[in-house]
Amino acid sequence: MRILVTGGSSLLGRTVADRLVARGDEVICLQRRASGSTARDHLADITDLDAVLAASAGCEAVVHLAALVAPRARWSTFSAVNIDGTRNVMRAAARVGRFVHISSPSVAFHDDASTGAGVGAADYTGRDGYTRSKAIAERIVLTDPQVPTVVVRPHLVWGPGDTQLIGRIVDRARAGRLVLPDHGRALIDSTYVDDAADAIIAALDVCRPGTEAVGRAWVVTGGEPRPLRDLVEAILSAAGVGSRPRSIPAPVAAGLGRVVGTLWPGSEPPLTHFAARQLSVAHWFDQRETRRVLDWSPQVGLDEGFRRLADWFSTAR
Amino acid sequence: MVEVPSGGSSVRWSVLDTGAAPDGTIVCVHGNPTWGYLWRDLLHELGGRWRVIAVDQTGMGWSERTGPRRLAERVDELVAFCRQETEGPIILVAHDWGGPVAMGAAARLDLRAVVLTNTAVAKPEGVAVPPLIATARAAVGPTCRTTPLFVRGTARMTAPVHREALLAPYRGADRRSAVAEFVADIPLGPADPSFAALGRSAEAFGALDARDVPVLLLWGGRDPVFHDRFLEDLLRRAPHAMVHRFPDAGHLVALDEAIAPIVSRWLDGLDRIGDAIAADQGPTTAPLPDDGFGPITTALQERRDDPAPAYLGPDGIRSWRTLSSTVDHLAAGLVNGGVRPGDRVALLVPPGAEMLEAAYGVWRAGGVIVVADSALGAKGLRRAFRGASIDHLLGTPRTVAAARALGFAPGSTAFCLGRLPGTVDPRAGSGDTALPVPGPHWPAAVVHTSGATGPAKPVRYTHGALAAQRDVVRTSFGLDADHGFVSSFAPFILLGPALGVPCALPEGDILAPAQLDFDRFAEACRRSGSDVAWLSPASARTIVRTAGGRLLPLRLVMLAGAPIPTELAGSIAAITGADVRAPYGMTEVMPVTDGGGATSDRPVGTDTGLPLPGTAVRIAPFDDPSGASLPGGSWGEILVSAPWMRAGYDRRWDTDQRSTVSVDGRQFHRTGDVGLLDGDGHLVQLGRAQHVITTAEGPHPCVAIEQPVAAAIGREVAAVGIGPRHTQVAVVVVRGEGPLHLATGDLTDSVRRSSPIPIAAVLTGELPVDIRHQSKVRREALARAATELLEGR
Repeated sequence: MRILVTGGSSLLGRTVADRLVARGDEVICLQRRASGSTARDHLADITDLDAVLAASAGCEAVVHLAALVAPRARWSTFSAVNIDGTRNVMRAAARVGRFVHISSPSVAFHDDASTGAGVGAADYTGRDGYTRSKAIAERIVLTDPQVPTVVVRPHLVWGPGDTQLIGRIVDRARAGRLVLPDHGRALIDSTYVDDAADAIIAALDVCRPGTEAVGRAWVVTGGEPRPLRDLVEAILSAAGVGSRPRSIPAPVAAGLGRVVGTLWPGSEPPLTHFAARQLSVAHWFDQRETRRVLDWSPQVGLDEGFRRLADWFSTAR
Repeated sequence: MVEVPSGGSSVRWSVLDTGAAPDGTIVCVHGNPTWGYLWRDLLHELGGRWRVIAVDQTGMGWSERTGPRRLAERVDELVAFCRQETEGPIILVAHDWGGPVAMGAAARLDLRAVVLTNTAVAKPEGVAVPPLIATARAAVGPTCRTTPLFVRGTARMTAPVHREALLAPYRGADRRSAVAEFVADIPLGPADPSFAALGRSAEAFGALDARDVPVLLLWGGRDPVFHDRFLEDLLRRAPHAMVHRFPDAGHLVALDEAIAPIVSRWLDGLDRIGDAIAADQGPTTAPLPDDGFGPITTALQERRDDPAPAYLGPDGIRSWRTLSSTVDHLAAGLVNGGVRPGDRVALLVPPGAEMLEAAYGVWRAGGVIVVADSALGAKGLRRAFRGASIDHLLGTPRTVAAARALGFAPGSTAFCLGRLPGTVDPRAGSGDTALPVPGPHWPAAVVHTSGATGPAKPVRYTHGALAAQRDVVRTSFGLDADHGFVSSFAPFILLGPALGVPCALPEGDILAPAQLDFDRFAEACRRSGSDVAWLSPASARTIVRTAGGRLLPLRLVMLAGAPIPTELAGSIAAITGADVRAPYGMTEVMPVTDGGGATSDRPVGTDTGLPLPGTAVRIAPFDDPSGASLPGGSWGEILVSAPWMRAGYDRRWDTDQRSTVSVDGRQFHRTGDVGLLDGDGHLVQLGRAQHVITTAEGPHPCVAIEQPVAAAIGREVAAVGIGPRHTQVAVVVVRGEGPLHLATGDLTDSVRRSSPIPIAAVLTGELPVDIRHQSKVRREALARAATELLEGR
């Protein structure tokens, strides 16, 4: 099968592309810079409709991972990439026949804990631009889809080569600047990158007319929630970092996030209110329906994932 | 809005109606000053299967405001409404002054069943007019009409969420005329115009039994208006009624408690209920042998001339002779003082000789002892005794005075073992009073569970069950010799006189079993010549700790209370050389097994030995207790049946239903414990069903995680599930100090490595334990604390 994957330069996008190629699919990766994957690259911007349509020519399915992920940016930029870009990819998918859209569990985040929760409505209307634009995009995707469409919301994806989450944690810990709200007590689920990629491919496989999966969003996680402190310590010990995070009270973290996130001069404030809240309250989900409907379950898991992360740190750096 | 014929004209009623439904029609009648909102739970949950109609009476709720209505007119209107709007036999549901209206109508309607919540059809004799009603009547205008005092006062009797809705139809004095007229119409004496109508309602209610109309009473135990004396009055008029009393609910029980599922279950069982009424109020166990039945007082009477000690304790010695004659004397005094067969007598006597005299005296008099653990505290005791509708108090001057001051049993007569003004000393009675001889089906006791595994529940026992319990203890544990037993657990001495075996209490505070050390225990055994001991786990631990290498040879040691760690049983065996038993059992069925596995080590669970002869043990699928019996080796909920099993829970119809499973005509008690029968037929207990951790992968008994982890790390741990059922994650808490917090990384790793299932988080901190035994970890509280911690903030 010939498949268009957008956002192939991200950890998850690259892994999806590689695993599709490995199982014999023909994959075209659309993004602005080289994906570094085993698939064929088509360098373009998803805000360019003609380029997206051109890249999708001859494909049978589109997997849409490309998004602007940033703690802060102008709303017009978020909107252009995450909403208008998604519209462009949808139009391409409408010609192609099958559409898997990657969203985020945060589109249903309302500042409170999710403990064993199901899939909430994508009704986030808060201040975080990324989440707001992703929520709107998901609603657009699921409103009257023209072709079989499945939305996947992978939760907190990490793995070797991750510069976003893992990279930031390790860098800050090395600099002695890593702090966790309330000793990192919140129980948080996460997803090893290979498991998340498998779930997206499983979603692609069940993205056919009339299946239970189509027309809905599915939260995908590793199903092994741990206190944030445990996750961070496992990452730091995989990276061989000796220093341990300090703790600040969660309300202080939220307050600081509000101030820093607003006043920080650059585009990458070290903390935002949204991020502080996300790390202060539990996030874990009822995965029974997802696993049954997608016919998927995580094969790697946390402990093996951390071993692979340690191997990667010891060889790659 | 429905036009209801009323005295030649008509009145517009506001009616909530869920529409045509297959199972039948339910008509709900509110009281004063509420409206159809009261029945929202029934409307919401029963609608669809049942046509549920909640009317607003004339001048009430959203119905038309008219001139005043007397009770008889309200009855006529309800009859007219039902005839016009319903077909076939109906189910009447009513509350408060809706009760007399509905029962007045009952006489003229085709009825299938009646459900009443806190109401009355008459003022019971000797009961004062409830002060709230008296006040309202004395100043009807200012309290009910011109000010919303009465309406607001009623709305405040339930959760704030309901208040706006309850007040909505009664804003403005003109909207409240009927509220005042309703109060003014309450007949207090023959001179009041509605007195005759109320009498007709009472008559119709009393006739329901003869008409074969089943009655369910759902009762809030904290209603200052229609309190328990009114419940007793209703039960006297309709002895066939089933009762579910909610000790914590108030006047507006329909809003305080989820009554819909109970009503639904009761209605579903209507066909079966006809048969149950004939038998008893609740389920009974296997049939008891009528021939050769010897009441529990038999052995005591047989040894009435024996000068040997029957009881030895800190408070003195009683020979069989003195104990027997005191009991007979006391029984005579109770009978002369008004105790009738089946009367309930609250036993407020501290452990010791007087407790034996009082309990056996009540039984000889044909009464029912009502007991509750003093560990429940004044509030818990008040709640327990009030709920049991005590007829008489029996205690010492101190306890009787306290019970009266705290209002344990309003309206009861008080017997006092000592001098107290206003009470009768039953020992002053003459000895030649004829005493009744109880039959096996006579009620004998209402025992409140300890509350260690949930709120205290009242359990009813018959004389037959107590006799069967005596017999199984005698035959299974060889307690028929003249060698007595020492008990660190006070209630167990009640078995002594029944068995005809001397019993002894050690010196010291019997209510603090953890203070019983080796010396006092050894002294009690020596003094009483006992070679058998009954120990609570707390006592056993202290005895082991203080033995200091000394030995105390005994024949048999019974450990009872909580699951007993094998290492504790082993230590007791080493000190005493005794056969150490830890039989499985609970207040409802005690004992179940012979406790033969007490010292055998098991990787998971507690070996409680072989089920005793006469018992039947079933292992039912977890979450489906009425399902097929599981094969040996599979774990599930433990179901038990035995001739000495409880008769039922007192005034807890729904608890009875949910705790009893009928298999092939035999009633099984759902223990709420999980366990399995192993290859040797031993019953292995795996903790409480409510402590089973239900992950997405399947259910796990908490001990299956706790035991291997505790063994690996050498510390006490508790495992709890957090999150929604069937998608929970497991959390292990290691016993430590202070409030819960995350365990260190190293401890976390060791716990995760030794656990058979994935552990989401490892915490450490104080483990909450039950007040009674100081040993059962309160996992519900622990799970709540863990959830709160791990949710973040």
